[in-house]
Amino acid sequence: MGLLQGASELFPVSSLGHAVLVPSLLHWSFKQSDPSFLPFLVLLHLGTATALLVLYRGQWVAIISGFFTAAIRGQMKTDSERLAMLLLVGTIPAAVLGVFLESRIKSLFASPYVAAGFLVVNGLLMLGFEVVRRRHEKGGSRVEQESQFANAERISFRAAALVGACQALAFLPGISRSGVTIGGGLLAGLRHQEAARFSFLLATPVILGAGLVELPELFKSGVPVLEYVAAAVLSGIAAYASARFLLRYFRSGRLDPYGWYCIGAGLAGLALLHFGLW
Amino acid sequence: MRSTSLAVGLGVLGIVFIVIAALYAVGVLQILTSTTSGPHYKHAVLFAVLAVASFVAASFARSRTA
Repeated sequence: MGLLQGASELFPVSSLGHAVLVPSLLHWSFKQSDPSFLPFLVLLHLGTATALLVLYRGQWVAIISGFFTAAIRGQMKTDSERLAMLLLVGTIPAAVLGVFLESRIKSLFASPYVAAGFLVVNGLLMLGFEVVRRRHEKGGSRVEQESQFANAERISFRAAALVGACQALAFLPGISRSGVTIGGGLLAGLRHQEAARFSFLLATPVILGAGLVELPELFKSGVPVLEYVAAAVLSGIAAYASARFLLRYFRSGRLDPYGWYCIGAGLAGLALLHFGLW
Repeated sequence: MRSTSLAVGLGVLGIVFIVIAALYAVGVLQILTSTTSGPHYKHAVLFAVLAVASFVAASFARSRTA
């Protein structure tokens, strides 16, 4: 479960959707209605957030330092300072929507049908993002096409807020946080690789914050904490490898393969669940 | 002048957010929560973040007057 979550969290394929769908299809003994299920998932997310902190440790030092410098000065003078403020602006909509919509969205978590359905929607979104992106691309090779677009630091504050708000969609099982934020970054004019970097940086405080707040609930619920922590470590390792792979892939790669995968996996999941074939 | 007023307004908003965060943290405030008793740390953290954002925005507004 840890490996599954860590590997699927950063790929634009919805880790939550897979975490709800796969145990149901494989008849794993997870009770998705159990009060400890969500805190368990959050603990796995903490593993992912730790992996992202390790991967971007140098950048996070610059971002945190830039945040305090710019906040005190009241001006942004460097790319790190601008990126810090962009991340703050992008994090707020997700945090507000997450806190106030969470209880309503939780009620959807327990249904693998819902997860499979939204997985199809997620796939269509990925394909849609690339269709829109292709209309703005010029040049022959992928390198030429990508070179026309910007770095994460150049995204507008309005776009950062919109991309941040898109993160709230990921509370729906089946909708990928990284998918919608990478797609949002593409629409805002970022290169694929930079959209992925902005997505990963934006995800870190939200995942970390949600994880730390949920942690006491996990320890209250009387679960095997050591096993869960081991799963979180595995999740972190898988997430680190996934992030390295994706950053390399998005130098010239697109969201299309993940879109088709989500549509296929979602439809297959719906069929298997509906006909009771699994 | 306009930026000074904005900076003061944002500073006051930040203080209001801190108070709301404290009220959620001690369990006094129960508005827009899923349970009706006990502290609500998620809400408290959210309003603390909003307070930080307000103070940062106030700092940026203040610097425009200089």
